[in-house]
Amino acid sequence: MNFDFSDDQRMLRDHARRFLSEAGDFHSLRQTLASGEGYSQALWQQISEQGWQGVAIAETHGGLELGMLELCVLAEELGRVVAPVPFFSTVCLAAEVLKRCPGEISDNLLQRVVTGEAIVATGLLTPDQEWNDTTVTFSNGKLSGRSAPLAYAGHAGSAILPVLDQGQPALALVDLQNVDRLALGALDATVPFARLHLENTPAELLCSGNQAHLVMTRVVNQAAVLTAFEQLGGADAALEITRNYALERFTFGRAIGSYQAVKHKLADMAVKIELARSNAYYGAWALQDGSDEQLAAAAALARLSAGEAYEYAAEECLHLHGGIGYTWEADCHFFYKRARLLAVSLGSSSAWVDRLLSDASLHALHS
Amino acid sequence: MDFNDSPQEAQFRAEVRAWLEQQASDYRQPLDTTDVAGYTARARDWQRRKAEAGYAAIRWPRAEGGLDGTPMMEVIFAEEEARYHVPVGPLVTIGTTMAVPTIRKHGSVEQIEQFTRPTLYGDTLWCQLFSEPSAGSDLANVRTRAVKDGDDWVINGQKVWTSWAHVADWGILLARTDANVPKHKGLTFFLVDMRSVGIEVRPIQQISGESEFNEVFLTDLRIADANRIGAVGEGWKVAITTLMNERINAVGDSLSLPSVPEMIRQVRQAGKGLDRHRAAQLLTQELGLRFFRFRLLTSLSKGETPGAISAMSKLVHANMLQDLSAMALESAGLDGICADGDSLMEKFQHGYDWSAALRIAGGTDEILRNQIAERVLGLPGEIRVDKDIPFSQCR
Repeated sequence: MNFDFSDDQRMLRDHARRFLSEAGDFHSLRQTLASGEGYSQALWQQISEQGWQGVAIAETHGGLELGMLELCVLAEELGRVVAPVPFFSTVCLAAEVLKRCPGEISDNLLQRVVTGEAIVATGLLTPDQEWNDTTVTFSNGKLSGRSAPLAYAGHAGSAILPVLDQGQPALALVDLQNVDRLALGALDATVPFARLHLENTPAELLCSGNQAHLVMTRVVNQAAVLTAFEQLGGADAALEITRNYALERFTFGRAIGSYQAVKHKLADMAVKIELARSNAYYGAWALQDGSDEQLAAAAALARLSAGEAYEYAAEECLHLHGGIGYTWEADCHFFYKRARLLAVSLGSSSAWVDRLLSDASLHALHS
Repeated sequence: MDFNDSPQEAQFRAEVRAWLEQQASDYRQPLDTTDVAGYTARARDWQRRKAEAGYAAIRWPRAEGGLDGTPMMEVIFAEEEARYHVPVGPLVTIGTTMAVPTIRKHGSVEQIEQFTRPTLYGDTLWCQLFSEPSAGSDLANVRTRAVKDGDDWVINGQKVWTSWAHVADWGILLARTDANVPKHKGLTFFLVDMRSVGIEVRPIQQISGESEFNEVFLTDLRIADANRIGAVGEGWKVAITTLMNERINAVGDSLSLPSVPEMIRQVRQAGKGLDRHRAAQLLTQELGLRFFRFRLLTSLSKGETPGAISAMSKLVHANMLQDLSAMALESAGLDGICADGDSLMEKFQHGYDWSAALRIAGGTDEILRNQIAERVLGLPGEIRVDKDIPFSQCR
């Protein structure tokens, strides 16, 4: 039995945690928000110097070519500090699409992802959507339509979108330089969203037909596992600050962490996080070595479990801080809002529940 | 990251499988547990066969009947053994995993000599005389008194919730020898021959209709001082060893308890709407426990000691079992309530009954949450207003 990350992967985690505890602390997150720049260019630059963008990208494209488990490790650490960088959309989504649609265009963009030069926004088809639900069409080399809200679309140089090409699924890459982008106010201000207004905008198809469908399915399932790690990181950090607060805050002459009403909630947080971590590890294994069926099942499992853990941890984190927890000055809202964003970013829990309870998933999980 | 045995582990697993193939062929079907005498005889026989092959105490030195093995080997044996309906419940493990390790740590050379081998070979079965009507979660509150009389101790009191007292040969007993000191300091640990005069065992009828548990009345029971373990007044320390030796939940799924997929199949077959969100949540718990266990085994396999985490597993497992059983029974309506010989429904009924016991035994939900909060998260311990006052003045 070797159901754990390797020593090298643990070293990467420790290193990332140390680095982010300074470079990505909540003080700098607040500075990024106040600057109105949308993301931290400094942090993005620093992590690219360490090769994080290319951790799962081939050496031929300049990447470190470590693997998906390393990407899981980084996703967890970035989630822990609610890092204001376009890592997920660029690395966990766009690069994973590009890896599966080889060609000159993809290769060039991958190389620019590795260096940190490229920021890419990525549209997804979530489990509760069909290709016919896409709002953008491709015709004669041009895209038209309004995109769904896209993370970092206001800051990205390009976007990958699921589109319909004469009724057929396709994935298109569009340069955003001259595209109208409408910035959107959002619940979680740490991730800037924008909507693209495309009108005969020149674009390239990365792949189409069944291949586009397979790539999208794979990337969404991977995203569910990687998001689960991001959720775990956030949940763990929320538990940690709540536990510390429960020890220092006194009421009626005692630390609030000495009351069972409080300590039992903290225990429940810890239990949900351990279960979620265990399910996320299975997701990580499936990313690396599982069949498509196992990955689909593991993705639903990891996502639902981590979503529940983060939701509970973030909500009780704010609640157990009492009145101060509702202030902007306290850090609880970073977790509270990010948990809500991540809960919906890959589609409704109802759709993922259906996936988990499907015969295919039940079979894959019990074989 | 993989789920594979190391080469040595795989080799041991193959050996165990071959051995079980030969020895456990009689145990492919569930045993009749209502035939107490027959079940007890088979439990003794199975334990003897394991002992003769060294599997009864895998981690012990070969010279003492073990295999010089690792905790991981113990887990592998338990996993393989669980594929058969072998009689290995508390009837045997109270002796092998609680009584004997305690005696070996705190007992005299003579005591170790007297009890180790017979327990290992199934000749001596044990029960645990710890809990009392007013000492459950607060175990140190035991009121059963032990008074010195010459070379003997005279015991009076009542124990309860005592599994297998009706068949056990010996018992481990926690009794109060001094009521004028604080409660943890006045206890002493004894070994009791269950055939002695002054012991009356009354079966307790459980909500399931079974009677594994008993009340045990101790009236002027005489125990020779030679059967005391540890010093007078040191009983709590000795008992802690016993409780810490409750083995980590080595085996995952039990053949006799219903699972979440079984529940989902049942609800769907019944044509009732499945509460999908609740079912999915239960499934994430069941699988989360399985993968949690794989993580623990990985630590064990690397020679690391997992922390205070068995509390988490039991807390989740017991509540999950209760909920999934209730959901399955509900889908069958009154046919689930009136199982009347339907073996699947009886399995869900068993799950529903047993989960209620499981949420209490070996640490209630509330005690487990305290443990997790205190040991894992480092939160303050409970306020104990009786900690420093003599037991005789406690309420």
